[in-house]
Parts: sequence; structure tokens; C-alpha cells
Amino acid sequence: MTAAVLPLLEFTPPTIDYVRLLPFLIVMAAACLGVLVEAFVRRAWRHEVQVGLALVALVCALAVIVTGWGSDALGLADPIGPDQLVGSVMVDGPTQVFWLMLVLFALLSVCLMAERRVYAGRNAFAPMAAAIPGSRAEAEADQAGLEHAEVFPLTLFSLSGMMLFVAADDLLLMFVGLEILSLPLYVLAALARHRRLVSQEAALKYFLLGAAASAIFLFGAALLFAYAGSFDFDLIALRYDHGAAADRLLWAGLGLILVGLLFKISAVPFHSWAPDTYQGAPTPVTAFMAVCTKIAAVAALLRLLFVALGAARWTWQPIIAGLAVLTMLVGPLLGAVQHNVKRLLAYSSVAHAGFLLTGLAGALTLQSGLTEGQFGAVSAISFYLVAYGLATIACFAAVTLVQSGGREATELAAWSGLGRRHPWFGLVMLVSLLSLAGIPLTAGFVGKFAIFTTAWRGGYWWLALAGVLFSLVAAYVYVRLLVTLFFRPSDDQVELRLPGPATAVVLTLTVIGSLAFGLVPGPLADLLGQASVFLRSVHG
Amino acid sequence: MTDLYLILAVILFNVGLVGFLIRRNALIIFMSIELMLNASNLVLVSMSHVHGVLDGQVAAFFVMVVAAAEVVIGLSIIVTIFRARRSTSVDNEILLKG
Amino acid sequence: MTGAVWAPLLSGVQVTFWICAVLAIVGAIGVIASSKPVYSALSLALVMLALAVVYASLEAGFLFAVQIIVYTGAVLMLFLFVIMLVGVSTRETLVDTLRGHRLAAGLAGVGLVALLTLGVGQAITAPAVGLEAANAGGNVEGLAQLIFHRYVVAFEATAALLITAAVAAMVLAHPKRLRPKPDQSVRLRRRVEAYVEQGVHPGAQPSSGVFARHNSIATPALLPDGSVAPESISATVASRVPPADPAQLGLPLAQTLAAIEGRPGAGPVDAEDSPSSPASPSTPSSPASPSSPASPASPASPASAVDPPGPAPAASPDRSDPEGGSDD
Repeated sequence: MTAAVLPLLEFTPPTIDYVRLLPFLIVMAAACLGVLVEAFVRRAWRHEVQVGLALVALVCALAVIVTGWGSDALGLADPIGPDQLVGSVMVDGPTQVFWLMLVLFALLSVCLMAERRVYAGRNAFAPMAAAIPGSRAEAEADQAGLEHAEVFPLTLFSLSGMMLFVAADDLLLMFVGLEILSLPLYVLAALARHRRLVSQEAALKYFLLGAAASAIFLFGAALLFAYAGSFDFDLIALRYDHGAAADRLLWAGLGLILVGLLFKISAVPFHSWAPDTYQGAPTPVTAFMAVCTKIAAVAALLRLLFVALGAARWTWQPIIAGLAVLTMLVGPLLGAVQHNVKRLLAYSSVAHAGFLLTGLAGALTLQSGLTEGQFGAVSAISFYLVAYGLATIACFAAVTLVQSGGREATELAAWSGLGRRHPWFGLVMLVSLLSLAGIPLTAGFVGKFAIFTTAWRGGYWWLALAGVLFSLVAAYVYVRLLVTLFFRPSDDQVELRLPGPATAVVLTLTVIGSLAFGLVPGPLADLLGQASVFLRSVHG
Repeated sequence: MTDLYLILAVILFNVGLVGFLIRRNALIIFMSIELMLNASNLVLVSMSHVHGVLDGQVAAFFVMVVAAAEVVIGLSIIVTIFRARRSTSVDNEILLKG
Repeated sequence: MTGAVWAPLLSGVQVTFWICAVLAIVGAIGVIASSKPVYSALSLALVMLALAVVYASLEAGFLFAVQIIVYTGAVLMLFLFVIMLVGVSTRETLVDTLRGHRLAAGLAGVGLVALLTLGVGQAITAPAVGLEAANAGGNVEGLAQLIFHRYVVAFEATAALLITAAVAAMVLAHPKRLRPKPDQSVRLRRRVEAYVEQGVHPGAQPSSGVFARHNSIATPALLPDGSVAPESISATVASRVPPADPAQLGLPLAQTLAAIEGRPGAGPVDAEDSPSSPASPSTPSSPASPSSPASPASPASPASAVDPPGPAPAASPDRSDPEGGSDD
């Protein structure tokens, strides 16, 4: 009877271009495989197997992105037809750029997560997160050498969500990507080995605020759907071009979506989760969160604003500019009074969100037609993100090294004199902090220069001037830390652990990167500039 | 008639938002967030009807999947915290390391 | 064909909307205004069910079912489970460090309300297209076409969400047992060892002193000397309820005895019983009772004699019990 009622469904299976999606698929598959490893591999081997799996997957994804760079398969030359790629994943130039950055920085973060020598043979995570903090069960788990190797698949899941988020060409996929990137981070934030109550509280705060931000984003997306009758960026843009009395729905939806995305970027006034979460989460996770989440959210914001709402830029540009000023002002001011290095870095991350928004406001120069050596908005922002990511990961790697009594000493006072006592450590911090401050000859300077130029040419000269001014305020924060590192008497209680191979690699690469891209920015800028035009999907 | 659905959704969403801002109990805050998600679903479904496309219903379906996963994670974090805090007062196996 | 199934619901779309809108708003206010999470959860269930009916009236048959089965039936029940698990008084899980954030959040919230109210009022004036064309092949089939074609990547990616949720629950809530669980023989051996080495009583703990007047397990048993037997109530209960005063626990009985003694007509059967009760050593009147002569009073009279003096003093321990009980 049911066979009679149900008509035979005429279903044409979608043609998915798996080659374009390969980097994303590799990361996702490795994450799923990692969960299977948890189930079937002996406990003693799990950590090594998981680390190996994650590193191999990330290197493979990196290789696929690099080999496919600029080739025809990327769709840089020909527009993408509706049948070539379903599911509205847009693998265009910016997607490739941001995927490359995400995978690269995830690789560095995974190295930090895999580090054990720094923590006296253990990793940075709680031996058994389900045990009550301070209980006998926890101590026994610690003695038995238990570890949560699940952190690696969770990180990869989060990364796959970021890759989807960056490539999403419609609001629904973007929402799904946002959730996939967020949910594992909520869990990871709760897994710190020491100060577990703080860590759990940080996770709860991050979760509640993050879930609310997602809900606000979703409501905004729903209003845009009400406005346009579609989730597709391109159709939303087309709808705007037609002009309508219902534009208020568009503004409301845009405002709510901005709240959701600015939360992830940790722009003022949606930044309050950042210091608490950065402080409570395990430091390698903080590094991952601070860099990769910011890259993903900025990239998604770029795509949404430029592709879906590019025609409405006269409306959102002032909002973004205003928030940029606020963020650049509040971030450094609050950062200057912090006594905890992780919190200080969190406010530094807030401040950098402001600088990134400055570049976003210069959207006018997005379209091609730039002369040689000029930065477009997308390439300027991605250059800035590279510089920020390198320096930030280096700083958090350094945080893992400064220890007192077997745990990280994140009090600012504990760091006094360390740079003088250990010159190599001083060098790492000097380069990274100067890059964050935007001092010439570092990558941070080039990034800031590019961003301010973009804003200037986009007609926001006052924003560029404000940015330069606030850079000086922000520099004070870093100079304060440097003064502590070099000119204060040192504390003998604090010891500097020697980095293990993984951390050493991270520190070396980031410091070299910060210097190299500062001294010779040309190649990287060219590379990023090659692929900085967002493609639009073609609809009938 | 069509914008009545939107107005209802906005009311529900705002009530959820106010609950999120003023309540102090993590469980109630979380339920306020669920309320916001439900308001979004109402917009999606009703606008699906208005525009005559099923995309909104698909989105509402995805939202339910996402909400289910989110609830699992959120509640496990809440339960973890509760066990840690409660046990500090009841369980005598505590060696509080600070 | 499917349209015909939903026809009765469609006929009253407006009526449905107004009824459900009122229910949903009442429920929503209940969610945020309830003092206890349980009430919030039940109010949320009301909102969800009301919305499910609205979905049905909007030609979303599949979502109507999913909203009830998955959202209300599974997600919300998970909430209820956790509320029961965590206890109804969850004052510990408060987010307490948002002080500076609150004002900013409040301002942002006000701005948002203004933004939204401006945004949606009269925003959509066009008549609804309706889903008859889209649902022509059936609502579920139409959704399937979209999910497995246009949104297939998103659909596959949600697998990551579900796996993450499962892993997260395992990581955060499932402690691995490091020592083998002691079976009965091991526990027996431990108990005997404890008895041999430290003289710990190997038998069962004394049961709580649930007297006729107290139906709470928070009432401890009294030892023959009138003091409280601490093992007779569980540690969890003892930590929540203020410790009982033995004198007050024995008070009703003492008063009973005093009443019996004060009234010349106490029966000999009662007199014999009273020395055996634990409270009797605290009352000096007990040796005197056997000496009193038999009286014509019926056996029912002691019970009635208890009541008049009983309620006033006995009320104080009684009153403390419901407080302890209501928290659980």
C-alpha cells in the first residue's frame, strides 16, 4: 500500500567535485579516523598514533592546497557553474588562501598540543576530565599516565568546521560550519590539566556566550532568508539590487549576523569571553583558538560582507568602522592593566580584531584594478592575519615554557628578567612582541601598513589615522611586557623549561616567519594578492 | 498576516535574549538560548511558507540537529562543573590542591 | 494527496496562530521568569509544542513531527534529566564573573530590541505564496530532494557535530574505572578486616529513627541514653539538614509520658511500654508510672490524651523537615 502511495522518487544524485573539496575532506576524514583510533588502538599507543594521524592529515591537506594553487581546477579562471559544485561550498581564491592559513596554523597548534617534554612527560590536558578536580580518582589517573588523546580529533573537527565556514557560500552552510568549529572548542577549553575549576568555568562561559552568539547569528540569517527567500549569498545580493521596501529586514538581519560573527572575532563589545576563556583554556588550545578562530571568522565576515552585502556597503561600512575604533581603543587600554600574561595576550587579540576591522572598512578597493605592489582588502587582511598568527602562536608557545612548581606561571611578575636570563627566550619574545606591536622590520609592521593603506584608499582616512594612533597605545602593552622581561630583577622560583622538539619547531618557524615576512614581504604579498577575488556562484 | 509570524518570532527571541541577560542559573540561561533558536525556526518555517520554497524548512531541520548536539555538549559541561562544585561540599575524597 | 491530509489544519490557520501565539508567549515568559529550572523546562515544552502546531498549519508536516519527537521529546527531556541529576537548586552553576559585561550586554540588548522592532514591523506585505507547489510531491520528499542535493555537504558535515557531541559527552562525563570494582566477597573481607583491626561494627548501619511523627529520613535514631546515633542518617542528608537536637526529638514522647502520668487514668500496658522506648531515660517520670493504680480508661485514651499538648511543641522539629525535603 505504501508503495502505491509513495511515488518513485526521481532523484538525480548531486555531482560533487571532490577534488576541490579534498583538503576539507582529508581533515574531516582524519578526525573521524581519530575517533576510531580512540576505540580500537591500545591506550599506550594512542597519543603517538593520534599525533601522527593529525600531522600526516594536515601535511597532506597542505600539500593538496599548495599543489592545486592557481591551477585551473581552482576555478580562478573560469566561473563555477551550479552543477560543478553543489552544497554551495565555494572553493575560490580567498578560500584557498584562508584554508592554507588555517591548516598551517592548525599544524603549529597541534605541535603545541603534542608537546610533552615541557610538562615533564605529560601533555597540557587533564588526565581524566570526568574526574572531580582534586579527587583521588584524578590523582590515580595522573599516576596511571592517562591522557585525553581525543583532543586531536576534536581539534581536527574544529578545523574542518573552520574550513567549511570560510568556504560557505550560503548562510545555512555558514551556520553549520560555525557550529562545527565552535562545539569542539567548548570541550577543549574545559580540559586544562591545572586549575581545572577555572578551566571548566571558562568553558561554561565560552559555551553560554558562544551558543547565544550562534543563536543571534541564526536569527539574523533567518531574517535575511525572510528578506531574500534564499540563503544563497548571491541571491541575497541580487535581491538587494532590485531594491525593496523590505530593506529593514535586511538591516536587522545584517546587524544580528554581525553580532554573531564579531563575537567570534572578539571585537568590542562582544569580547568579554576572550580574556576568561583564553586564561582558563589549556594554553595550546588557547593558541589554536586565538589564531584559527580569528582567521576563520574574519574570512567568513569578508565573504559575507563582500559577496552577499557588497552592494549595501554604504550601510555596513560605518558600523564596522565605528566598532573598529571602539575595539582598537578598548583592547589596548584594558590590556595595559592586566597582570596575567594570558589575559594580556587575550586583550592584545581583541586589539588586533580592531585593526582587522579597519581593513574591512576599506572594502572599496576590493575589485581588481590595483597596480603592482598594492594591497587589496583581502590580501591586506590575510597578510595581517599571517603576521598576527605567527606572533601570537609564538607568544602562547612561550607561555607554556615559563613554569613554577610544575605548572605555568602566567603572572606578569613571574616573567621578570627571563629575557635577560635566557637570551634565546628573550629573542623569541622580542621578535614576536615587536611584530604584534607593528614595529618596522617585522611582519606585523607590513600587515599594519597594508591594512591602514586599504582603509585610507577606501575613503576612511580618519580610521587609518586613528589606527596609527591606537597602534601606539597598543605598543605600550607590548613594551610593558618587554620591560618586565628584560629590565626587572628575575625571580628564582620561576624556571624556564627547555622546549621539546615540537615546541622548538614552532618557535623557530614563527620567529623566522615574523622576521622574514617583515624584511621581504613581497613574495607573500604577491601570493596572497593572486587569489584575492571572491567568486560568485552563477545562478540562472 | 504574514508579518504576524515575524512579530511573534521577534517577541520570542527578545524574551529569550532578556532571559539570557538577566538570569544567573546556567540551565535557565541555556534554555533561554533554546528559546532563541526556536524563534529562529519559526521565522524559517513561516518564511518558507511566504516565499513558497522549502529551503527554510530544511534550515529549521538543520537547526534542530545542531541544537541537539549543542545541548549534549552544553549539558555535559554543566554536569561536569556541578559535580566538581557540589563535591567540594559533600564528598570527602577531596584533596583540594587549589 | 498530502495536502488533503493537512486540509483540516489549514482551514483554521489564523485561529491556530492566535491560540498558539498566546501559548508560546506565555510559555516563553515562563521560561525566563520561573524560579526553578524544572518549571522553565516545562514552559519551554509548552513553547515548543505551540510552535509545532504552528508548523503544522504552515504546511510543514515533517517539521511538526520532528519538533515534537526530536526537539520536545529528546532534547528537552535531556534537559529534564540533567535538571534532575544536578538537583533542582543549582545555585552553584551560576555564571558569576560577568559583572562588567552585564551593563554592556543590557545596552546591546536594548539596541537589538529596537533594531528588531524597527526591522520587522510591516516588513513583509506581499501575500504568502504557500507551499502547495513545493509540497506537490510530498513534504518529506521535497525536503529530501533539497537535503540530498543542494545541501548535501551541510548534511554530511553535521556528522561532525554528532560525533563531536558523543566524544564530548564521553570525555566530560564518563570517568574511566581505574581500579576493578570491588565485588561482594571483597567488600565482605574488607568489612571483617576493619572489624578485626579497628573494631568497626561489621553489620548493617542502624536505620534512621523514623518515628510516628516524622516521615523524613533526616530524623536520626536515638541511642538508649537519649543521644543521636550519627550513623543512622546518610552523610548526604546530614550535610544538608541542620543536626537534630536529641532533647527535642525525645520531647513528644516525654510529653506523652508526662501526660500519661499527669492523668490518673493511664493504663498498665502503656506503663510497661514506656521504659523500653529510647526516650524514657530522659524523663524522670518513668519509674513512677508503674506505681500508679489501674483506671477504667480505655486503651484509646492515651492516644487522645497525646494530641492536645502535642502539636505546639512538636511543631518545631516538624517544621524543619519540609524545608530539607523541598530542596530534594
